Amino acid sequence: MSGHDSFDEFLAAADRDGAIVETSAQLEAALSRRRLLVAAAAGASAVLLTQAGPGRAAGGLSRSDTSILNYALVLEYLQASFYTEAERSGALSGKTARAVRVVGAVERAHVEAFLKLLGPDAVKRPLFDFQGTTEQQQPFLKTAVALEDLAVAAYKGQAPKLRSRAVLAAAVGIHSVEARHAAWMRELFGIKPAVHAFDQPASRASINQVVASTHFIARQPRTKARSKPKYTG
Amino acid sequence: MAALAVTVTISLLWAGLGGSHRPGASSVTGSDAALPAAPTPALTIGRPEPLRSSGFLSRWTSLRTTALARVRPAASAGVVAELRPTTPEGTANVLAVLRARPDAAGALWVKVRLPILPNGRVGWVRRQAVGAYQTANTHFVVDRRGLRATLYRDGKAVFNAPVGVGTASWPTPAGEFLVRSELTRYASPFYGPVAFGTSARSAVLTDWPAGGFVGIHGTSEPQLLPGRVSHGCIRMRNPDILRLAELMPVGTPLTIQ
Repeated sequence: MSGHDSFDEFLAAADRDGAIVETSAQLEAALSRRRLLVAAAAGASAVLLTQAGPGRAAGGLSRSDTSILNYALVLEYLQASFYTEAERSGALSGKTARAVRVVGAVERAHVEAFLKLLGPDAVKRPLFDFQGTTEQQQPFLKTAVALEDLAVAAYKGQAPKLRSRAVLAAAVGIHSVEARHAAWMRELFGIKPAVHAFDQPASRASINQVVASTHFIARQPRTKARSKPKYTG
Repeated sequence: MAALAVTVTISLLWAGLGGSHRPGASSVTGSDAALPAAPTPALTIGRPEPLRSSGFLSRWTSLRTTALARVRPAASAGVVAELRPTTPEGTANVLAVLRARPDAAGALWVKVRLPILPNGRVGWVRRQAVGAYQTANTHFVVDRRGLRATLYRDGKAVFNAPVGVGTASWPTPAGEFLVRSELTRYASPFYGPVAFGTSARSAVLTDWPAGGFVGIHGTSEPQLLPGRVSHGCIRMRNPDILRLAELMPVGTPLTIQ
């Protein structure tokens, strides 16, 4: 499996309303008109990069590594947005609320680091609809366990495919942090944090199943139009 | 005694991991020296920072389906209004989110400001009827007495301009509202180049087409501003409304005082 295969499948599963793919298609058309293959300024260029052949993207990263990093960035966006919304909701309490403050800050730091590394090749932050899971303790914890397990499995699955040892070193460092988060959330949810001696790599299908079951990536509502105003004047 | 045992155990583990220079361990050291140096990680993770104070943040969302707004967060509670997912202009029906809470059965409800008459009403809709929460760090305030409008970002004024408001017969309503749409490229000089839709409604022009919503828009008669000249809308000079359009996102809370 190549990196871009996994990213495409991730998108297909996670992009409930086609918002990311739609953005990508618009971007691709614009780039075609301009006879540019690699977008330097548009956030959704990662999808294009995944469709390009071998070579190097901007910033010295290989295109396959860029694709994998953007795949990871989407997951980091997902986690950071989830914890941030949960903290702002003010609906969580006790140890869970304290954990949210710590983990949320870490996930936001991950996002910032990915954005800095990827520069103009970074995908844009999608809009997330957490459907109330950030506003009630038990749904929150159940979802947090799923998202952390998802992140751990995703890093584990992608790390062997990274070409750059420097990127691999960074990914391994983040992977272990995500594993600690997963254990923490499991503990808070009341399930055993570590029962297996070895974590089997999760299949693409299982990762996609978890992502698809959330339906968390949503389309931006239409708030702009060209229609004539009907206001009182 | 226990501390000593821990110290000994850690020392033995450290030695087992090659942490000490034992006699006869030079071959291991030599092999290590032959290995390539560990790479510097490509990512530099910054210090995790707590969330900034959210004192100037507000939340908004949009309706996904037609929904009933109720007086309390319960399916059996009385209905305040039926809300549709789109505005008369065809944009999403955007609502200010005030709070959320579950009902006795555990279903989540969201308290929202309602775009209905009388102005200022609130109601509860099922969480599943609305979409993603979004945040705004902006706030637009219209001062009817001073005939000026100010946009705040994170509590700081970033825009200020003279406005026209409603006459005594057709007053601009006071209260807390939301900027819920932005219209452009329509052929109507009367409204200027940009018009923002709001959740405020004229209490007088109830039979106005599309319900008499109050807009914030440009004008073809800038010489009348500032003044009490409109049917309830907030009029601005065209250069001002164009500048405001660059600064004010949909979802911005609107206070008319």
